[in-house]
Amino acid sequence: MSAAAGRPVAVHQFIPALNPHDATGTHTLKLRDALRAAGWRSEIFAEAIHDDLAPEAYKHWMYPEHAAEGDVAIYQFTTSSAVAGYLAEHRLPLILDFHNFTGPELFAGWEPRGEQRAVRAADELALLAPQAVLGLAKSSFSERELRRAGCRRTAVVPVLADYGRVAGPPDPRVAAELVALGADGGADILFVGRIVPSKAQHELVKALWAYRRLYDAQARLHLVGGTSSFEYTKALQGFAHDLGLSAAVRMTGEVSDASLAAYFGAADVYLSLSAHEGFGVPLVEAMVAGVPVVTRGAGAVAETVSGAALVLAAADPAYIAAALHRVCSDDRLRATLTASGRLRGAELSGDAAAIRIVDAVSGAVAR
Amino acid sequence: MSDNEATLPADPRAYVEQVMAEIAEEVRLRRASGDLPPKLERELDELFLAHSPVAGRGGDLGEALRMVDAATFIDPVVPVESERAAGAVVKKGMRSLLLWYVGWLTHQMSQSASAVSRALHIVDDRLQQLERQVEVQRVPGATVVEFPDLDGPDAWWVEPAIAAVAKAPGRVLHAACGDGWLVRRIAAAGGDAYGVDPRSHVVDRAELGILDLRGEGLAEHLRAVAAAGLGGIVLSGLVDGMAGGERTQLLTAIATRLAPGGTLVVHCVSRDTWNSATAPPEADLSPGRPLRPETWCHLLEEGGYEAAAQPGPGGGDFLITAVRSSVVTPYPPTER
Repeated sequence: MSAAAGRPVAVHQFIPALNPHDATGTHTLKLRDALRAAGWRSEIFAEAIHDDLAPEAYKHWMYPEHAAEGDVAIYQFTTSSAVAGYLAEHRLPLILDFHNFTGPELFAGWEPRGEQRAVRAADELALLAPQAVLGLAKSSFSERELRRAGCRRTAVVPVLADYGRVAGPPDPRVAAELVALGADGGADILFVGRIVPSKAQHELVKALWAYRRLYDAQARLHLVGGTSSFEYTKALQGFAHDLGLSAAVRMTGEVSDASLAAYFGAADVYLSLSAHEGFGVPLVEAMVAGVPVVTRGAGAVAETVSGAALVLAAADPAYIAAALHRVCSDDRLRATLTASGRLRGAELSGDAAAIRIVDAVSGAVAR
Repeated sequence: MSDNEATLPADPRAYVEQVMAEIAEEVRLRRASGDLPPKLERELDELFLAHSPVAGRGGDLGEALRMVDAATFIDPVVPVESERAAGAVVKKGMRSLLLWYVGWLTHQMSQSASAVSRALHIVDDRLQQLERQVEVQRVPGATVVEFPDLDGPDAWWVEPAIAAVAKAPGRVLHAACGDGWLVRRIAAAGGDAYGVDPRSHVVDRAELGILDLRGEGLAEHLRAVAAAGLGGIVLSGLVDGMAGGERTQLLTAIATRLAPGGTLVVHCVSRDTWNSATAPPEADLSPGRPLRPETWCHLLEEGGYEAAAQPGPGGGDFLITAVRSSVVTPYPPTER
């Protein structure tokens, strides 16, 4: 596809922070490539840029050096950022690529700064949404929020993610470690995501406690992902210790793609009890990796898994434990969830997603 | 586990729904058998709360101050346990090397924290003085007001209430639950129910080993429930005497805790019943008065429910059944 006459000369992206191994960062880089392939000039401008991605982006205040008549801006809206005010001031034709953000109530009592940031993010959404020529949401759940914030024209398009990373060669050291851990039996329960209150890892610990008590005394919980809430992480560690689960709850921190593949390779079940999800990339990764998913239906989760997982209405430990037991012990259910999950994962992967976004952008900027 | 050998169902979605129902039944049986007593689940909640910061517990200033006092002393002697063999030795060495420096810093921090704590205690004393002065003007919270002829297991509204919540998408909460008579009935009908009641002496008499009953206020309890964590809520004897502010706060809390598609059932009495000579003294002492059925429906529909009122046979009470919309709109949506 080439840039046709009358098209804007550039569709640039703005983002609060560009990080590697991060769902929004990956999405932004992949979208940049898709936009370039469609014939547009496209650069990334960010308030914060990870050192590893320094060659890929510019600081947002450097945009005037690259500006040209007819530019369109796509804002990857993930959290509060100075970029929002910058875009509101510059009045570029704006497309909001909305990834949703955790509400302030889920930070309350844990992370005062996170709470304030979420309040500011809501204000910034209300500021930018009415200005946007198009709002791109990752789910109908997020689309409704965009509409409520004043976005007049919206579309639902998937996240551009590198789901294939979970099916790549696993890190042999991690894989061997997991095999050794499982030598005495017991299910491996996996959750991938930052350790923050909204992901409700403490509910996962409660569920593990109930599952071990009722069904499988050797079960383990792997919490893969870094933390951005020191208070919550300490509370989680103390809670697991008090329950006698220090060894059974393994907090890995951030891991490489190969290590992640090893964790998915060893997992008997992927369990998510997040209180809020705007999409849930790790859920799709689990489905792509062929791991049965048990999840609470918060936010956009039910839409993301689309019937290919056990979606629970409540997070009661006894209920979750019974669901885990069923998934780990019922071959027919495992096979059904695995097959449905792989189909759903395929629907959300591949080039079709990028084409849908480029088409939506084309339609908006041509108006 | 042989994933590939199992026969896949013709309709995977219907099969998964059937499995979900079987899991719910398994949980009900487990609870009934006493494998996972309700007390243990409560203790899990409380144990995690013990690790959360003060603000996360919804505690009062006194509790917060006790935590400040406890945290005022900063221990410079850091623990040195380690999972690795040499880790403890290395940590101990580092601690010895740095203790003179860290100790000097922590001593000043402890002194600073003590000064802040003292100042907060003075503020607390002043606040308590002010509270005593405004107490005479305070609007009290509503108490439970039960009309013997209209409440209890034989009341007309019990069956419709059970039918409305027995298949709710999640746990069902009854407030005020008393000795758990409705919780027992909902459980018998296949629901996963528990109860709260601010009259802890009533709850203490109940069979706590079998039923999950908690002696605490509804508002306090809802603060500890996860968002969308309940499939159904039944309110009886609680809302008629509430003042407007308290009722609004309660409905706001319910709106966030009730799952989309969940059901709220409210048993109310009419104003004539409330004002009758046979009404219990708590009715007279309550800060508010009962709402009309139309007003309840209006209030709940504004909050995103589909609500219907069912009058009682004698006209002395009515039942409101409201299903929470699956699309939650905390403020009016804009035009598409």
